[in-house]
Amino acid sequence: MPTQSRTAARRSSLGALARRPETGSLIGFVVVFAFFAALGGPVFMGAPGWSSWLNIAAEVGIIALPVGLLMISGEFDISVGSIVPASSMMTAMLAGHYDLPALVAICGGLAVGLAVGFVNGLLVTRTTIPSLIVTIGVMFAVMGLTLGFAVLIKGSTSVSYVPTPMAKALLGQFINNMFNVAILWWLGFVAVFFCVLHISPIGNWIFAIGGDRESARNAGIPTSRVTIGLFMASGFCAAFVGVVQVMTYQQAQVAGGQSFIFNSIMCVVIGGVLLTGGSGSILGILLGTMTFAVVNQGVFFAALDPNVGPIIVGALLLAAVLSNDTFRTLALSAAAKKA
Amino acid sequence: MSNRQSGGPNKGGNRHEVSKSIAAAATAAVLGTGAFAQDIAVIAGSVEDAFMDKIKKGVDDATHMVEANGGSVQYLRTQNYENFGPDLVTLINQAVAQGVDGIAIPIWVPDAQIPALNAAREQGIVIMQYNSGLPVKDDISAINYFGSDEYAAGFGGGKYLAENGATHILCHIQVPGAINLTERCRGVTDGAAEAGAKVTVLETPPNLDGDVTGTAEALKAEFIGDQSIDAMVSCADFGAAAGANAVEQTGLDIMVSAFDFSPATLDRIKAGNQTMAIDQQPYLQGFLATSMLFAHLKFGTEISTDPVLTGPAIVDASNVDAVVAGAALGAR
Repeated sequence: MPTQSRTAARRSSLGALARRPETGSLIGFVVVFAFFAALGGPVFMGAPGWSSWLNIAAEVGIIALPVGLLMISGEFDISVGSIVPASSMMTAMLAGHYDLPALVAICGGLAVGLAVGFVNGLLVTRTTIPSLIVTIGVMFAVMGLTLGFAVLIKGSTSVSYVPTPMAKALLGQFINNMFNVAILWWLGFVAVFFCVLHISPIGNWIFAIGGDRESARNAGIPTSRVTIGLFMASGFCAAFVGVVQVMTYQQAQVAGGQSFIFNSIMCVVIGGVLLTGGSGSILGILLGTMTFAVVNQGVFFAALDPNVGPIIVGALLLAAVLSNDTFRTLALSAAAKKA
Repeated sequence: MSNRQSGGPNKGGNRHEVSKSIAAAATAAVLGTGAFAQDIAVIAGSVEDAFMDKIKKGVDDATHMVEANGGSVQYLRTQNYENFGPDLVTLINQAVAQGVDGIAIPIWVPDAQIPALNAAREQGIVIMQYNSGLPVKDDISAINYFGSDEYAAGFGGGKYLAENGATHILCHIQVPGAINLTERCRGVTDGAAEAGAKVTVLETPPNLDGDVTGTAEALKAEFIGDQSIDAMVSCADFGAAAGANAVEQTGLDIMVSAFDFSPATLDRIKAGNQTMAIDQQPYLQGFLATSMLFAHLKFGTEISTDPVLTGPAIVDASNVDAVVAGAALGAR
């Protein structure tokens, strides 16, 4: 029996590949990369080009992973946009203003993310307010608090901090002068989230919740705990990016994280995650993030008008949603034929 | 500071550019409020904008002088820049509804602001302009302008870089199409040309505004793509953080500079990672616009210099320590 199914799988491997949810994202990435590689030439294919889009991908990618998991479970998290500056402000304030050790400051920054995520999760699970609205509300509240405390304590909306060599090496250095160490952290996060979604039982719970929350709860899945955990994960990851930014650019500003809201959602959707939940993969999110980053940086290496970048990203987004529908229909019809 | 502004007797005399109607409106405002308290509103930009905090410090310091003379100052700011024109009009109308005698305001969105301000002026409210919008000053019949001229600031910056050895300068605009930023780069171009350097303008897409990493990588691509670039000036302070990072990544020898600055800018200038910053001294803008509007209403003073330019003031290694001291007090 196992031998039979394996042979069957091999025989129809091309068909199976075409039905995998990541296929659309993979095609998108290959096309976009080939396009910019042709236009950008050897510079884009060399260390400057690779480091350029990988540095972008690392930051947005770290946030896109938990945001993707939340979307698979049927929830949105808009608040990441204000957690990034809140955490970098907390870190810079603790280390740069109060002169506390870097480790304490980093933990403080990360704690901000965990706390905001916990509040998000609590509000989403205890009330009937949709997560989109909850996290928009929380985003504004966090923004206001960040601003208020910064002005109250520092009298300014911008704080500078010169990190210790250790903190800089771990979180803010450029390997080979070009590759931000955040890229390695991103790959680490990818591994962790891969285990959570595709290996551990929690992954099945997340898919089940996204498919039908009510049935998932009836099946004995601790839906509230999973949801709160996911929001805390996205808070943590956003806060992590905030800490990385302080260590890299040696400054924190109360505004500036807004671009992560839409960018992370776009990476996730280009990566084939279903907006309504229940479907998606880490590999897809990874590919979506890489595609997004290549387009964003490729335009500068290809010497195109920089405004072409957003146009391509927008077109990719629409193409991704359309192709996802197509691949899903393919997969469903194939499954129906087998039955 | 006050010895140059006792121009009461000159009122309406030597200021040929002021039309009769303003003089009448101003007089009406002064007569109308007479011996009562003079209340003024100062309208400013987003509460999230660090630059605006320095303006606020100037407004706060001037408020002491206003209150000592029996007047009051209302300081109104927009929440953000998302819906900027309508938000500014709301603040103008709010000030009018509260019966102020004067409004100090920058002009950022002329189409939205000019009609609202003219309506306010018809009710006898005196307009003082600061920080932005010098070209439309006459359209709102402002009594004076405290701020920098974007073109002049760019000219000074471009000339400085060229005189310090730059031959090809990249001028970075973070909001494509923004008129004040375009003016800055036009000034940089002309200033650099005077000292024999050429300028390339780079407009990064709006989704990179405020995104240091994205901007750093975009600048890196430009630096590598055209290695004749040996200096850059960004219209945004975060652009200098991005530029310094791009220079560090590429290892190229490029002078980094920017308009305006933050505490981190001063760190970079001290550490030698940034050549200079072009300051417009927002503290002076807030302080002078508030105190001079009030003095005009209360004492009938006029300043014979019009407009009054508070910039460009170049911050570099030679004066950074004095600026750090001022920054620690929130005024630079």
